[in-house]
Amino acid sequence: MFCYNCDCHLSEHDFCTACGADVSLYKKIMHVSNMYYNEGLERAGVRDLSGAITSLRQSLKFNKNNIEARNLLGLVYFETGEVVAALSEWVISKNLRPEKNIADTYINMVQSNAGRLDSINQTIKKYNQALAYCLNDSKDLAVIQLKKVLSLNPRFVRAHQLLALLYIDNEQWEKARRELNKCMDIDRNNTQTLRYLKEVEGMLATEEPEAGVVKSKKDDIVRYQSDNEVIIQPRSVREPRNPLLSNLINVAVGLVIGLAAMYFLVVPAAVKEAEAKAKTEIAEMVEQMDVKTRRVQELEKQVKAFTDENQELSAKLEGYVGKDGTLNNVDYLLNAAKHYLENQDLELTAQQLDLIDKDLNQEETSESFRSLYDLLLQTIGPDLSKKYYNEGYTAYRNEEFTTAIDLFSKAVYYDASNVDALYNLGNAYRRNGDVQPAIDTFDKVIELFPNTERARRSKQYRNTLAEEQNN
Amino acid sequence: MINFEEELKKFNPSLEVEDAVEAIYNQDLTDMADLLVKMLKESEEKSEQ
Repeated sequence: MFCYNCDCHLSEHDFCTACGADVSLYKKIMHVSNMYYNEGLERAGVRDLSGAITSLRQSLKFNKNNIEARNLLGLVYFETGEVVAALSEWVISKNLRPEKNIADTYINMVQSNAGRLDSINQTIKKYNQALAYCLNDSKDLAVIQLKKVLSLNPRFVRAHQLLALLYIDNEQWEKARRELNKCMDIDRNNTQTLRYLKEVEGMLATEEPEAGVVKSKKDDIVRYQSDNEVIIQPRSVREPRNPLLSNLINVAVGLVIGLAAMYFLVVPAAVKEAEAKAKTEIAEMVEQMDVKTRRVQELEKQVKAFTDENQELSAKLEGYVGKDGTLNNVDYLLNAAKHYLENQDLELTAQQLDLIDKDLNQEETSESFRSLYDLLLQTIGPDLSKKYYNEGYTAYRNEEFTTAIDLFSKAVYYDASNVDALYNLGNAYRRNGDVQPAIDTFDKVIELFPNTERARRSKQYRNTLAEEQNN
Repeated sequence: MINFEEELKKFNPSLEVEDAVEAIYNQDLTDMADLLVKMLKESEEKSEQ
């Protein structure tokens, strides 16, 4: 013990031998603190942890520097699951006495294992959550949460008490008693635990006779005195007359009961199971059928699409290969070129050129086709035109106007500058009675070859025909 | 008969590890010895005056 005034070691005297300060009261206070510490230590020794906490706190109220009392208080807190309170006491203790302090060991024990510290914190958080659930009337959730808390820290007295309280509220007396007994194993003199336990024991005592677990059999027995002994004999016990028969009857009854159980319990269950299995199989088959039907429909669609595509491609191919197809036109042109290059045979060349479709779409033909066709026309066009003109004129003279129209048309086609052919085409139309084609042809002569004799005559015929048409 | 609501009020949330520092700082560490020393010093001051 040290002097409060000069920190010198105190002797047995009531004053400080160093500074002379009166330390009688101070010594008494220190003694009271030690007395409470001893009491706390004693209570902790018999697991009266609540009592120990009270005593140790009293001790610290008298002397905050009572390091042993503070360390023991921390230890008791730790034992009841109040880890943060324990840590607080040990940290203060360590601050008050930094050297040679067992609190150092305790703190290291908790803090050195990060997993354990985290587990402690999780436990506290879950406990607080459980308490919040209780306040929000979510008692089922609170029970679940508290069970988790206690699985992490089975020494958490407050959690046990809260769980017991929830069980009491739910009238689950047996479970409540189990929790409270666990509390008692940790802290034997906790007032709250004792109060709850008293309530639970009271409720269980009133329930037990009602439940009929222990049945009085006083009525079923006969007591009588024989000499010095009391004979206790069951009233309803009878000796079986024929043990074999009774055994057989019992076996038969057992068989009947077994068969009945089989018929009423097992068979319907088996039938139900079979039905359920069949239903499942049918459902699976229907599903498979649906899948297959969908597949068939998809394939049918694909077949239709392919058929349409095939028809389209066939039509295209026909366009290339058919009677008036592009490929045929190419053949005709090549034949025409061949005849002309080999023999300069105008007639055969003309025959082949005539076979080429005049309305052939220029975009469907290749550039080389068009070039060759144009070249042939430029080369032999005027000669061919002259040839057709001469033949046409002969037909015109023979008054075969339809043939003449055809031949003059070809002559105009192969040489657009052949004014005679165009003029006589108009005349052939006129003589054949084709008034409108005749007018159109004469209009072309007037337009393409103005200021010529043919144009002048064409104008006369055109006007005459137009007047006739109007009349 | 235990009243659940009343009993529930006796349960307080437990301190979490993060709150430990604050709890330590807030703890009143004044003891009887401190009070005695204070009283003695005050009485000494009065007698000196």
